[in-house]
Amino acid sequence: MEGTLNLVGFGLAAIGPGIATGLIFAAYINGVARQPEARSVLQPIAFLGFALAEALALFGLVLAFVL
Amino acid sequence: MAKREENAMWSIFGYLLSGLLFWGGIGYGLDQWLNQGYFTLLGLLVGISGAIYLVWLRFGRE
Amino acid sequence: MRDLLRSGTGGGFVPPSSSDFELPPIFGDNAYTTKPIFLVFFSVILISVFFILASRKAAVVPSKLQFAGESVYGFVRNELAKDVIGHDFLRFVPYLFTLFTFILVNNVFGIVPLLQFPTMSRISFPYVLALTVYLVFHYVGIRKQGALKYFKEIMFMPGVPKAAYILITPLEILTFFVVRPLTLALRLFANMFAGHLLLLVFILGGEHLLQGVIGLKLISPFAFAVGIVLTFFEFMVQVLQAYIFTLLAALYIAGALADEH
Repeated sequence: MEGTLNLVGFGLAAIGPGIATGLIFAAYINGVARQPEARSVLQPIAFLGFALAEALALFGLVLAFVL
Repeated sequence: MAKREENAMWSIFGYLLSGLLFWGGIGYGLDQWLNQGYFTLLGLLVGISGAIYLVWLRFGRE
Repeated sequence: MRDLLRSGTGGGFVPPSSSDFELPPIFGDNAYTTKPIFLVFFSVILISVFFILASRKAAVVPSKLQFAGESVYGFVRNELAKDVIGHDFLRFVPYLFTLFTFILVNNVFGIVPLLQFPTMSRISFPYVLALTVYLVFHYVGIRKQGALKYFKEIMFMPGVPKAAYILITPLEILTFFVVRPLTLALRLFANMFAGHLLLLVFILGGEHLLQGVIGLKLISPFAFAVGIVLTFFEFMVQVLQAYIFTLLAALYIAGALADEH
């Protein structure tokens, strides 16, 4: 087997954003299921939260290659 | 109507990735050119904030 | 403990790697007669024969075959094309339908016994498919809105302070012209590649454990069981990826057709 430790680090670092994305969309689905008319209010919030969580994951990915 | 969400999620992913690649790439190029070490990180930060701003413009506004 | 871990044959376990995907040519000595190429041709024949048979004797009260063919067609037509593209969707249905069935059949080859190789785990095939999507949605957008207006719409979104364009316009260009088609291809490729690798790990691992001492032989059925469970999981992933690829293709076409995003 070969590879660098960076990729192991990225694998570990991706756990957090993975859980975060799951939680965000779980809450979003819950909210829309309970109150479908709240969708337009919830959608931007969910997407911004997703963007922030995803940003961390991608940051980890890029740093795994750069460092 | 879950299709809009699917589109938005992959768009957000694409914006973030291209932000990091573009501005991070510029920073990396500056680092190679000027023999510095901090432009890459600066570029990555500029790229990620630009991409999040773009996401806010596209999807975050009412 | 070391003795227990070492296998009976003496040779260490060789973990499956990307070299397992580089299959030798079936006959001759060129790169064009490998298994994936045959699978692609086979899939085309399979799809053509199935849908020709299904639509040949079209009746008001459908036969089972006709029903199967029509439900696949109806799914693509209504769920993907009509819902996403809206009016004027009918001229994209043949393209989306071809895309969906082609990717679906080629993906499912990954778990069909005897074939057992997802064609899309060779990167060139998803690249070509993404290239066709790329050409189609840009062509449609330019045709609908005119080249200048189309590109202007992509690069400069309204309602943004002028200074922010320096930050944003490169990202829009990169996303639209590079990242989108690339991720479209890579998502399909990576899912098929990783799925096939996962199955290889468990099946080859189970087979390797079977050659070990008695304690390891007892573990090996569990590896095979996980391999079988993952095969069903893999089927789900394969169908889902075919769906997502087609859905995103339809969404890009819809985005190019729409006047504003």
